[in-house]
Amino acid sequence: MRDRPEDKLRAEEDIKELMVRYRPIITFRVRKAIGAQNTDCDDLVSEILSQVMEKITSGEFRGESSLGTFVYTITSRRIVDYIREKTRVMKFAPEPEPFPDPQETLEQKEMSEKVQAALEKLKPKYRNALYLYYYQELSREEAAARLGISPRKVSELVNYALKLLRKEMKI
Amino acid sequence: MRKCKFEDMIDGYLLNKLSERDKELFEEHYFNCPACFEELQARSLIINTIKNHPEVLVSEEASLKVPLATRLKRELAAFFNVRQLAMTGVISLIFLAVIIAVVPKRQALLPDFTLTDTETVRGSSITLISPVIDMNQVPSFFEWKKLGENVEYQISISNHELLWKTTTKENRVVLPDEVKAKMVPGERYSWQVKAFGPDGSLIAVSSRVQFLVSTK
Repeated sequence: MRDRPEDKLRAEEDIKELMVRYRPIITFRVRKAIGAQNTDCDDLVSEILSQVMEKITSGEFRGESSLGTFVYTITSRRIVDYIREKTRVMKFAPEPEPFPDPQETLEQKEMSEKVQAALEKLKPKYRNALYLYYYQELSREEAAARLGISPRKVSELVNYALKLLRKEMKI
Repeated sequence: MRKCKFEDMIDGYLLNKLSERDKELFEEHYFNCPACFEELQARSLIINTIKNHPEVLVSEEASLKVPLATRLKRELAAFFNVRQLAMTGVISLIFLAVIIAVVPKRQALLPDFTLTDTETVRGSSITLISPVIDMNQVPSFFEWKKLGENVEYQISISNHELLWKTTTKENRVVLPDEVKAKMVPGERYSWQVKAFGPDGSLIAVSSRVQFLVSTK
């Protein structure tokens, strides 16, 4: 039954769907762990995806956990291995992604320009809240003290600003 | 749309503020929750942009200056507690009330003259010194209290009609012989002094004082 051509086709479609679904998630996790500027990112993501596919086709994934958790576990293990390998060579493990990111890709640059345009359109009260909360990384309480408003109001300003930005950028 | 309980961890995760345990929990979660991953990507883009281009948020008009009213409120709060602030308010009100009450009166004191036939006189006055009582003989001089420097005085002497008029910068005038000759015993005379400022404006007027030159 398993070797019927239509079943094989279905399995291939599932794998394709799986790749489309998990590639961005794995990429995000890898970039966050080893730094977006790290040139090994793409290779590592491809390697993880191959491992996932291999384990699914070999029947190693038996549905004991969700597929997401299964992919997450493989990703995490591979990242730990990568850092271990690099530590031996580099003496120091790579730091998590630093700010600012100097290796913005063209696509990211375009998106970033969109965000900048949207940020510029915000009222000063929203910009001030975003600056203190995200750029200076102050807590809600610290930002509240700086702005002379309540911490609850800081949350409201930040959340509403995010909403306005996403509406403006249509993302 | 119902909010996922993990959504509150997004900022902490992106800003590396989560504990190792929470970080792992959240990572596992976004591998399973498309809504959270979508939000994570969008917010990551926004935070990255803010980190790379903070100048967008601190342009001139949106400078991080705290609004003036808030700053004043905070600075006042640093100096006064609520009770002291209330007291300051009350004192300021009283002070204001006094100013409002006094200023119009002060203005009323300023020279304001209407000199017609009925001669209404208001404003500063000049004190006449001599003659102010009945005289045994025709007075040889007229004297009044000096008002200040650079004041010109106009003196007028009348009985039924104007007898003599002159101006001087002194506070005293000697009666010329020809006028003296016109004044006869038994008659009643009156005199008045008006003061003018350097610009020629009337600044003070004395009352009109009468005196009798007795026949002896």
